[in-house]
Parts: sequence; structure tokens; C-alpha cells
Amino acid sequence: MSIYVKFTDQLVGQVRDDLERPHAFAWERVGFITAGAMASSGGDLILFCRRYMNVADEDYEASDDVGAQIGPEAMRKAAELAYNTKSALLHVHMHKGRGRPEFSRTDANSGFEFVPGFFNVQPRMPHGLIVLNETGARGLIWIAKDRSPLYVNDFLQVGPQLKRIGGK
Amino acid sequence: MSQLDRQSFLGLHSHKRLAEVQVGLIGLGGGGSHVAQQLAHVGVGGFVLVDPDHIESSNLNRLVGGTHEDIAQRRAKTEIAARLIRSINPDVRIEEHVSKWQEAIERLKCCDLIVGGLDSVIAKDDLDRFCRRFLIPYIDMGMDVHTMAGGRYLIAGQVALVLPGSPCLRCMGIVTEEGLIAEAQKYGAAGGNPQVVWPNGLLASAAVGLAVQMICPWNDQLGRGALLEYDGNKHTLRPSGLFAHLQAAGCAHNHPDETGEMLFDIRRHIR
Repeated sequence: MSIYVKFTDQLVGQVRDDLERPHAFAWERVGFITAGAMASSGGDLILFCRRYMNVADEDYEASDDVGAQIGPEAMRKAAELAYNTKSALLHVHMHKGRGRPEFSRTDANSGFEFVPGFFNVQPRMPHGLIVLNETGARGLIWIAKDRSPLYVNDFLQVGPQLKRIGGK
Repeated sequence: MSQLDRQSFLGLHSHKRLAEVQVGLIGLGGGGSHVAQQLAHVGVGGFVLVDPDHIESSNLNRLVGGTHEDIAQRRAKTEIAARLIRSINPDVRIEEHVSKWQEAIERLKCCDLIVGGLDSVIAKDDLDRFCRRFLIPYIDMGMDVHTMAGGRYLIAGQVALVLPGSPCLRCMGIVTEEGLIAEAQKYGAAGGNPQVVWPNGLLASAAVGLAVQMICPWNDQLGRGALLEYDGNKHTLRPSGLFAHLQAAGCAHNHPDETGEMLFDIRRHIR
């Protein structure tokens, strides 16, 4: 199964603008993108990003181990949005640099801890992780709670210019 | 020199980018046949061609590529467009659907861009919504001949580029409640409006320009959508003064949570 993620340039801009803001004590910010989905007749999965939900300043927790640790309230709000809108939930954060970003070991490990839990609130949809940088994107998508995630093959940015901004 | 050398200003990788793109063309009559021909010349590599109709004598005044032989053979308009495209670019990927576009949605969902030359207001509205649901930019072309006082006529038309999140055809006034009601009272028939080749060609050329600009921008003046108004009596095509105001207001007819398939369930797709 190949996986594609489609989003508007406006949404990507909104995400970058939010994640680039400094936080009082967290080293970085994170957020959530909701998405609809379809399966093509060829068996590909395409996610259509809907909206971005930032994590409120007060929902971050102090941590010496990770750049951004968010508390249960942030997770609850994201899960509630995914449940109410029947959406896929994509955790998103940013790395510095250009080109295709890569997940760090910490990113991937924490994803394996919390993304399968998204299926408890919205089992109809795939869920995952996205990392953006200044020009590119990388994604890991779980299609089931108990399966290994798959890398996103490509990200399609729709706006005044049609762009492919990363992937496998 | 190769076929695309004279358009190298479109960018170093424009040939590859154009070849990768898949464009849905809905309606292959007067406007759509021009678009098919021009996109083939430009080097677009993938087409999903959709039109339920077969060519008739009354189409020959404007359908690019159509011949008397096609009429004798009662060829589908998609077949004529596919033949025209392949005669320009033999390596192209083409899917033909001799059907209403609603019967080809599985393939259209995967298009990078859709260009519509539909007469029906109801169909324009539905297609606009479909494109938004799957985050596909939609370029709509339309023309009409209006009767004026003194038995004279006005040729008018428009080309609209609708991007997800930007003003839709309803915002632009191309789809109106009055138009929808009037057409519904005719059981969805748009009628056989007068059509001639030169406005079709002009509007199609503008549509192709908007499409190529999205794929291989050659300047920085990219708008978030567009509405170009054609006055066929003055022979002008101008950006609508209304559009800037519409952009500022945003679209109130569509909701971001409506993207994707309504009843999607990943569990049905796991093998």
C-alpha cells in the first residue's frame, strides 16, 4: 500500500508558523493535523488534511528527555477532535533545515507509544506522525493499531503552485 | 531541438513535472477539446478524459480534432480527444470514460488538477464540491450568448480557478440558487446554448495558462484562485474586480472537515 498526504499550502503555513514560535520552557512545539481519507482503486491510501490544532502553552510539561512533552489534556483535546470530526489524527512537529527531514529515534519511539492509542477513539481512520522542516516533510502512518507503520510515499501541497514536498 | 525546448523558461525540471501530472478533463466539446490539445502540446503526461457524448454534426463548428469521418462513425468525444493527444504525444497516459463524470469519480479523485467545460450549473456545483472534498484545484470554463435589445447579441464568458480554501463557484456567482432552480425545473437539462469556436479557444487558452502556471510557475504573481471575465463583443479577458473582495471574505459554502470519503473505514482496506 502506498500512502500519500495532501494538504493546502495555507495549512502547511499555519503549522509552520505555530511550531516555529518559542515556548516558555519546551524546546520545541508540537501540534495535530486532522485528515479525511480515501483508498484509490489501485489500493493506495490518500489522506486529505483538514485542519490544524495547536497545543496550548499550558498543556506542555517540563521534561529533560524530549524537546516537547505534552500532557494528557493535549492528547484528550486532539482525540476529541478526531472523534467528533471522524478524522485521522497526525501528530506534527518540526525540524530545522531543508530537504527531506528524518524522524529521530526519540520521535519514532514516542510515536510507537502514543499513535496506536488514537485507534481507541477513532478506529475507522489511519493515524500517524509527520515531521516538517523548512521545505520538506516525512510521515509515518499506522493503518491499524497492531501493525507496523508505513512511510508516506509523497506529500502533495496544493495552492497557487502544486508541489511535492517529500516522502520516501 | 526537442519538442519542449522552446518552453524551457518553465523551469529546468518542467518537462518531468508536466509529464508526471495527471489532469482530469470533464467535457470534451468546444472548450475541453482545445484544452486537451494545448495540454498535450505543453507536455502534460496524464489525462483522465470524461464525456458521455458522441460527436454530432452540430459539434463540428468548434470541436477541435473532430472530422466528418468521426460523425459518420459516431465516435465518442473522448476517443477524438485521445486520438488528438496521442498524435502530439504518443507516450501519454490516457484513461477514457464515455460517461458522466459522476461515474468516473474513482479515477478523478487521483487527478492533480481538473478542468471542466460543463454547461450544466448543477454539474458545475457538484464538480466544484467534489474537487474541494479531494483537495483538487478546479478550473471552470463557461460561455454564453445573450440576446440584447435590437436583436443583437453579447458573447460573454469566464474562466475560474478554484483552489481548496479559496472562493468557490457559488462565491463567484457562477453557481446561483436561481440558476440551480431554473435548471432543476428543466430536469437538469442545461439546454443547447449557442457556442462558437473562438471564445471557446480563448477561454481554453486562459484555462491552460492557469493550469501550467500551477504546475511550472514562470513568475511570482501567483494568485490564490482566479476569476477572468470575457467580453466577446469587446474582445477582452480581464480579472474580475470582484475577486479580490471575495478572497478577503473567504468561502462560506464549504467546510474543511468535509475532505475525504464520507464513510471511509480503513478496516475495510487492510489485507
